Amino acid sequence: MAWEGTAVEAILSMAELARNLKTESVSRLQPTPPWRIAPEQSVAEAVALMRQQRVGCVLVGRADEELIGLFTERDLLRRVLAAGLPLSVPVALCMSRDPVVVHPKDPIGFAVRLMEEGGYRHLPVVDAAGRPLGVLSVKRIVHYLAEHFPSTIYNQPPDPNVVPRQPEGA
Amino acid sequence: MICPHCAYDNLPGSEHCENCLADLTQLDQPVAQDRVERSLMEDTVSQLQPRQAITLRPTATVKQAIEVMLRQDIGAVLIVDDAGKLLGIFSERDLLTKVADPVVDHTTRPVSEFMTPHPTTVRPGDTLAFVLHQMDVGGYRHLPVLKDGLPLGMISVRDMLRHITRLCKTCGK
Repeated sequence: MAWEGTAVEAILSMAELARNLKTESVSRLQPTPPWRIAPEQSVAEAVALMRQQRVGCVLVGRADEELIGLFTERDLLRRVLAAGLPLSVPVALCMSRDPVVVHPKDPIGFAVRLMEEGGYRHLPVVDAAGRPLGVLSVKRIVHYLAEHFPSTIYNQPPDPNVVPRQPEGA
Repeated sequence: MICPHCAYDNLPGSEHCENCLADLTQLDQPVAQDRVERSLMEDTVSQLQPRQAITLRPTATVKQAIEVMLRQDIGAVLIVDDAGKLLGIFSERDLLTKVADPVVDHTTRPVSEFMTPHPTTVRPGDTLAFVLHQMDVGGYRHLPVLKDGLPLGMISVRDMLRHITRLCKTCGK
């Protein structure tokens, strides 16, 4: 019968990823801490913070207040370097205003779709009052997907055409 | 690792059954569990139709690189020599970590001083699982696609997300 064995398994596990993307929430991915700078601080300070924390974006806003904007690598390229602005300008002039955000309870699949459709690499995670709790990066999503298919990702089938350049042990 | 022939319990990773010498290598072969996994294991980079590589010479200035990245709406350009051989990749991350400087204006300097040399690359025949693995391990968002040592295109993390969301359309709210 066609419904035996692998066909049934395939349908069940397919449903599993689709279900996980729907039921598992953004908070499961442990978003990174919301590195924040005040709107009047300079781009140079934002760049220094991004370098120090090795992140691609910082949130613009004041502690325990609503998020004002997001300053990303793309903003640095587009609104600062391409525009020929000095790095001393306040970050408020070069940030992305009203960024698309997610909430901790949103499904992961929803965040993936937002990233794919909008081309966003970072989504601020905010609480009900709009205060930032963290940042979800596309890097974390890639890791989640890779985790999802461990046997597929980490066990690559052997390639018979690949031979070592030197005899082993040489 | 249970031998399927004699049910002897072998050490994990054994190639032969200790008891009956049956070949056990097939047991460790990854098997696709669903449509997404099968696609990741079997579909190749070329099936994703990576966008054409945007290339620059090493003598181009950082300013020119920025203009190209803006115009083409891309996050990284490839730096190639006169023969078209890949020398490096210049991405937004390089702008952030090396170019942006509050005192010195680096945008008139050659891009080769700030590029990441010898980037990790993939080939058109590599599987999507391999690409995902490279992106996860290296933290890369762009991987140059090379054929016979020459850049053919670029595959981005967005291409991968698009492919996976298409495969499971039912996800989301």
